[in-house]
Amino acid sequence: MATVTYDHASRIYPGTERPAVDALNLEVEDGEFLVLVGPSGCGKSTSLRMLAGLEDVNSGRILIGDRDVTDVQPKDRDIAMVFQNYALYPHMSVADNMGFALKIAGKPKAEIRQRVEEAAKILDLSEYLDRKPKALSGGQRQRVAMGRAIVRQPQVFLMDEPLSNLDAKLRVQTRTQIASLQRRLGVTTVYVTHDQTEALTMGDRICVLKDGVLQQVGTPRDMYDTPQNVFVAGFIGSPAMNLGSFKVADGKANLGGAHIPLTRTTLDAITDEDKGEITLGFRPEATHLVSEGTEASFGIRVNLVEELGSDAFVYGEMLDKEASEHISSGAGDAQVIVRVEPRNPPMKGDTVYIQIEDGQKHLFSSATGQRLPE
Amino acid sequence: MSATTTRPQTRKVVPAKGDRPVAVASHGALVLWCVLVIAPMLWTLLSSFKTSGEIFASPFGLPAEWSFTNYANAWVDSGLGDAFINTVIVVGTALVLVMLLGSMCAYVLGRFEFFGRRAIYYLMLAGLTFPVFLAIVPLFFVLQNLGLLGTLPGLIVTYVSFALPFTVFFLYSFFRGLPVEISEAAAIDGAGEWRTFFQVMLPMARPGMASVAIFNFLGLWNQFLLPVALNTDRDNWVLAQVLASFISSAGYAVDFGAMFAAAVVTIVPVLVAYIVFQRQLQGSVSQGTMK
Repeated sequence: MATVTYDHASRIYPGTERPAVDALNLEVEDGEFLVLVGPSGCGKSTSLRMLAGLEDVNSGRILIGDRDVTDVQPKDRDIAMVFQNYALYPHMSVADNMGFALKIAGKPKAEIRQRVEEAAKILDLSEYLDRKPKALSGGQRQRVAMGRAIVRQPQVFLMDEPLSNLDAKLRVQTRTQIASLQRRLGVTTVYVTHDQTEALTMGDRICVLKDGVLQQVGTPRDMYDTPQNVFVAGFIGSPAMNLGSFKVADGKANLGGAHIPLTRTTLDAITDEDKGEITLGFRPEATHLVSEGTEASFGIRVNLVEELGSDAFVYGEMLDKEASEHISSGAGDAQVIVRVEPRNPPMKGDTVYIQIEDGQKHLFSSATGQRLPE
Repeated sequence: MSATTTRPQTRKVVPAKGDRPVAVASHGALVLWCVLVIAPMLWTLLSSFKTSGEIFASPFGLPAEWSFTNYANAWVDSGLGDAFINTVIVVGTALVLVMLLGSMCAYVLGRFEFFGRRAIYYLMLAGLTFPVFLAIVPLFFVLQNLGLLGTLPGLIVTYVSFALPFTVFFLYSFFRGLPVEISEAAAIDGAGEWRTFFQVMLPMARPGMASVAIFNFLGLWNQFLLPVALNTDRDNWVLAQVLASFISSAGYAVDFGAMFAAAVVTIVPVLVAYIVFQRQLQGSVSQGTMK
């Protein structure tokens, strides 16, 4: 068990100028499940591979516990990694795959056998120990990859999108299995994914990266409730948050006819660079339908209704053309997504009026994209 | 296809009408091809049991008596036995060496980045394009200087260098195609470069190794020019040289029966190698590794 510390760690690939990971500062607590999440190319896998020792660290340091491992070989870092493609040894049986590291470490055969069998029991693989990987299903291979990490009893687990090759149902199932297994073993885990749902459901804390730069670290609740900038606001949550830049006048943001009052603190935080605009965001689930003419409400023309049983989502355009041009959501530019009561959703072509729920709006600087105080 | 069929699992596959002439023609061509390949071999086998007289009297008839006299004559009197052992020693040793050195060389060239990597690889490729005939005379003097001319080790060294470029060329792309994650997984599991190569990568390259091994085996087993030029000592002759001597040296007094027997002895190991390696040649590369 150990902590993991990234201390201004950077990685610049040869032949490129922009760092793939730019001065990453991150502390992972002992026994914590930390999820690195971000869009593809954001540097999350590179960060993980730096910790694994598969990628050079060009500047800064990486520590496991109190030990500086920046220049330590992967095999001497006391870590175990689960790869996206599992990377099982095709010519070895499941048992040999799982025990390979112990064999190299020179552990006695009886001990290897015992530890492999224990791990196999946890992962429900006992009857497959003599099979080759090619005779296993995708889910079983994934579990063998997990088993290979578990038998080592390492200080840190590294997982690089281990669920991305499973089908949707198995992914949800395995997601909870991995999370509960990690809680039980109590091993510090760094987990990479591009799927924000996976991040929210599995992580003790989430770390959002974009273009190699750390955006925000926090608990899933923090990330959802108080995203620190526009990127995190749009990335965390499903469907994504509706975000748009709107004119501020008389202490209110003008949202296509709806005047949303802003606090004194917020208004003071707006600078000249914002050019009298503010970026306002609201989640699809933080709205409710109201009748026409209600204060601070605005109209939406329904383009599509998505019914999921437990929820229904309305996809539409704002009635006010100008406001409409400035807003975007998970469905694209000029589109707004709103959750409605699933029992009697509006029809396509209807016009509905919505109001943002109290305290559920997110305000960001138009110029910097940073969250504004309320 | 037809909606009237009630039990689709027992439905017969009926080829479309246009397929039949094509099928007949292609099968006809294949049968003809098989005959062309197999008939001379059978004829050689049959003739190896006949006396010279029988061969000329009835070239396509069965032998009067199935006796191994021809084989015994060829094996003992014409030195085929010694040549067989020499060939096995030379080809076997050369094959082991070339596979070991070639795979290691290809692995390093294919999976490591270092200065001069490309240069070395292209040098290897250049070796492929170089005609052996041009190298014969210089090779002769090089081996003479080394004191290896006319010896089995000399022939082995020549064979190894002769087969190395193709081996490296073939295995290079093979090792490049193997997934990087596997070697990374091995590195994290604690395997050093040597262990990663011998216990992880090499077993994965088995189908490629088998293909190259059989090509090399065929090429070296049938090698004629190099031994003729570099291996002149009769005690060290290999099979191809003995076979040739049947025709050239004895002139009109050729023992044709023994010659056919020698040909069969030369062919059989190649056939056996093919049959043994056939499954390996068809095996897929890294099945079950990913996903």
